[in-house]
Amino acid sequence: MLSVEEAADLIAAIAARQDRAAFEALFRHYAPRVKAFVMRGGADAEAAQEVAQETLIMVWRKAASFDPTRASASTWIFTIARNKRIDLLRRGTRPQIEVEDWLSAFAGEAQDADKSVEAEQTYIKVKAILADLPADQLAVIRKAFFEDKTHTVIAEEMGLPLGTVKSRIRLALGRLREKIEKDER
Amino acid sequence: MSRHRAPEELLLDYAAGGLAEGPALAVAVHVALDAGARRMVDRLGMLGGALLDGEGEAVIGEAVLQQTLARLDGVAVEARTERAPAAAGPAWTPEPLRRYLGTASKWRHRRMGGFDEMPLRLHGDSHRASLLRLEPGRGLPRHRHIGDEYTVVLQGGFTDTTGSYATGDFCVGPDEIHEPIADAGEPCIALIVLANPIVLTGPIGRYLNPLVRRGWL
Repeated sequence: MLSVEEAADLIAAIAARQDRAAFEALFRHYAPRVKAFVMRGGADAEAAQEVAQETLIMVWRKAASFDPTRASASTWIFTIARNKRIDLLRRGTRPQIEVEDWLSAFAGEAQDADKSVEAEQTYIKVKAILADLPADQLAVIRKAFFEDKTHTVIAEEMGLPLGTVKSRIRLALGRLREKIEKDER
Repeated sequence: MSRHRAPEELLLDYAAGGLAEGPALAVAVHVALDAGARRMVDRLGMLGGALLDGEGEAVIGEAVLQQTLARLDGVAVEARTERAPAAAGPAWTPEPLRRYLGTASKWRHRRMGGFDEMPLRLHGDSHRASLLRLEPGRGLPRHRHIGDEYTVVLQGGFTDTTGSYATGDFCVGPDEIHEPIADAGEPCIALIVLANPIVLTGPIGRYLNPLVRRGWL
């Protein structure tokens, strides 16, 4: 298992000296996870593997743009995988906002060394909150991320009223906001 | 002044990658302008990262790793891209909108509606997107929404029966009839993304419906 810090160091090594051993370590950790993530959305093994491979190649290409004060390695790699999935599996049907645009939304805010520790701690908190979510809320969140379906489609597929799905989402995100902001105060 | 933020379920749809291009653009622009929405999307990205991290691994053979390593020979590690200094575009244009504004983008005056419009080009046909510009005190014809409508204020503000919307605010089209009027001050400029044609219901608006159906309004 890679720690948040180790993963960030591996990406930094690629950026600094095109470190292939660092790439290999990242690949061994993340490629099987991206593949599993995409397969949960219903893609076959071959297509999911292609998304995983293309995602890791993008990690190599863009390593210098990774900023640990803004996102953990997993968050960053998730956003790349999310866009690769759309590019490769839904080509033509769903053009997307570029990953640079998505990430640039976060730029311009104060950045200093403390921020990367803070980002790491927040990420660890988010993982703990996720593990604690009630099953009905978790089911909706997982469906949104794994199957990249909107809450409207999720409501239809689960046979739930739209209001129920919305309130589950808001409860889950409310928990996320409360726990993080409580600790920040 | 109370802020109107995009509903959280829509921020989730955006962060998870489920939105079509039009609504995704509206949310991206809102997120660029609103720090609170940005924080939430940031956390949602962490949630995505946590789900990626902790929900299992699929098998990837050693051959795939070797094949990928071989491909790296032809792939350069790109130098860090500094954020492009404000590209061409007026001050009210947030980053995600800029790539939609070409040199050919121009305001067109809609005499019947009493406003200016700049249509944007989306790739699919599920939604239409436009920038609208309203002089202070001017309103849009009364209309009712059939499909979803997403509005983000880029400059100035407007008021309708549901409240007042300032720069950065997000509005999901209400199901009821509404008649937004631009606030005093600068002209109100807004990004509007529509899922379906809207149907005008006012005494004059009714006669504009043929224009709506032809995509002129």
